[in-house]
Amino acid sequence: MQAKHQRLILGIIALVAVIAAGFLALIAFKKQAAYFYTPTDAVKAHLPLNRNIRLGGMVERGSLTREKDGVTIHFLVTDNYQKIPVAYRGIVPDLFREGSGVVADGHFEPSGSFMAETILAKHDERYMPPMTQQQAAATQTTLQEK
Amino acid sequence: MIGAAVFLPILFFLLVAVLFPFAVGSDRMILSRTGSGVLWVAALLASLLPIDRLVTPDIENGFFDHYAARNISEEWIAVARIIAHWLSFAVPLMVALLPASMLLSLDWSVFWKSEAGFLLATPGLAALGVMIAALTARVKAGSALTALLLLPLAVPLLIFGCGAVDGHQPGAFLLLAASSLFLLAVAPFVIGAALRVGQEG
Amino acid sequence: MIRLANPHYFLSLSRKLTPWLAIAGILFSLSGILGGLFLTPPDYLQGETVRILYIHVPTAWLAMGGWSSIALASLVQFIWRHPLAGIAAKAMALPGALFTGLCLLTGSIWGRPTWGTWWEWDGRLTSVLVLFFLYLGYIALSRSVSNYSTTSRLPALYALLGAINLPIIHYSVLWWRTLHQGQSINLTHSSIDPSLLWPLPLTLIGFSCLFAVITLFRMRYLLAHAQYEARLRRMAAL
Repeated sequence: MQAKHQRLILGIIALVAVIAAGFLALIAFKKQAAYFYTPTDAVKAHLPLNRNIRLGGMVERGSLTREKDGVTIHFLVTDNYQKIPVAYRGIVPDLFREGSGVVADGHFEPSGSFMAETILAKHDERYMPPMTQQQAAATQTTLQEK
Repeated sequence: MIGAAVFLPILFFLLVAVLFPFAVGSDRMILSRTGSGVLWVAALLASLLPIDRLVTPDIENGFFDHYAARNISEEWIAVARIIAHWLSFAVPLMVALLPASMLLSLDWSVFWKSEAGFLLATPGLAALGVMIAALTARVKAGSALTALLLLPLAVPLLIFGCGAVDGHQPGAFLLLAASSLFLLAVAPFVIGAALRVGQEG
Repeated sequence: MIRLANPHYFLSLSRKLTPWLAIAGILFSLSGILGGLFLTPPDYLQGETVRILYIHVPTAWLAMGGWSSIALASLVQFIWRHPLAGIAAKAMALPGALFTGLCLLTGSIWGRPTWGTWWEWDGRLTSVLVLFFLYLGYIALSRSVSNYSTTSRLPALYALLGAINLPIIHYSVLWWRTLHQGQSINLTHSSIDPSLLWPLPLTLIGFSCLFAVITLFRMRYLLAHAQYEARLRRMAAL
């Protein structure tokens, strides 16, 4: 058999292998190999208590409370389906605020609340000046009022 | 001579499993939590050791010219080389995983997951090893160069492999298989091309 | 195109082009950076911190654009065996690694005040770090190969192999839930407000010109080196 034909056969095998690899990856991405758990995932997965995990979602508006010592905070992390109470003691990043994204590293307490050891703020890909943001918020509220 | 060289990476792998408890202390909790990751890194580093004798000796003793003269394409020789490398490196490694897991007091479930992970990852790692060997065959390359070339491309195997053993990342086994399959698919062509380019001098 | 591929014509052209590209690069970069520092409004969420975007985003694009160009030039070198394409690929590795390093550095500086961490092993950050090491590996390989031939096609194979990382970087923010935010800009849409956007094309053009200047310098050096080698070989043959 010519070297050319041998290469052709191997090329076809390789092509099948690459397609199979892509297919496997596609199934895997549907299962989401995730950097963090959303509250829904965390509730579904029944995670062991002693294990450190990352919990990501939005800080529920109006849920942020601060204890008297000034450094311990409590808030709810939500993905619009499930809510998980989170406690954290320490300094939070500047961008950490209600209605904004958060990734908390920590573990679940037996009570079902999440004890965070570090808090990272996650922001989205939109950038705009403060004025436009106020306008956008204003239009949103007027729309909601209607 | 060759027999001894085959077992060097395995000895290296086992040595890491022996040394690691000295470094972090023999606390079983810590060992069993971190052990599987250590073994993955050890396997990756062990795979660097045989690289300089995967292709260079065959070029020197005319192995490739011999088969080229018999009209067998370099790509198929590369396939044979990858299979041979996998048999001589990965199979003993998977055997050595058992004593290594015991030294690091891994759970049985973790051991079996690691074994499955190694089974999926090592074909890709073998393909990658032969690729880097073919690329550096005619270069006076130190082991630092092979490490610098191989390790970045092996990162997906390490991440998905450890993720799969960790057990809390659904799909990590699938991604591990996908990475391995992809490396296997491209390897014969990269190796074949590298051998032909090398012949041009 | 064929005339451009002639090394002599290329050398005279690049000699004329380099100063203009350098001037344009400095002017565009400076105007973009100054505009981004003093003229644009702060971001509604991040405040003044957002201004590092005008450096971070172009360096990230050039980091990926650099490897894409290396892979493309390598493909040309591999198929048509054109030595100038190989030299171009090798020359782009240094600025590519430089901009990848800058991208990681500015990203880290940006991450500290906004996310609250210098570094996080998420998909986007990890894959860009892998790209940085691929650049270093490629540079090391092409250096040790050039001990016997400046125009060897071995590094080209590594460049093509490493190109698999590019889609991983690009799609990492879609495939995995990452700490890094999604893509802000594509061909038809930008989620950066126009009042904040305008310095970005300026720094992008400026940095690209500087990338090209370093590449041309490196190409001239590599060509001179190849000629010197050829002369040595002729002298040895005599």
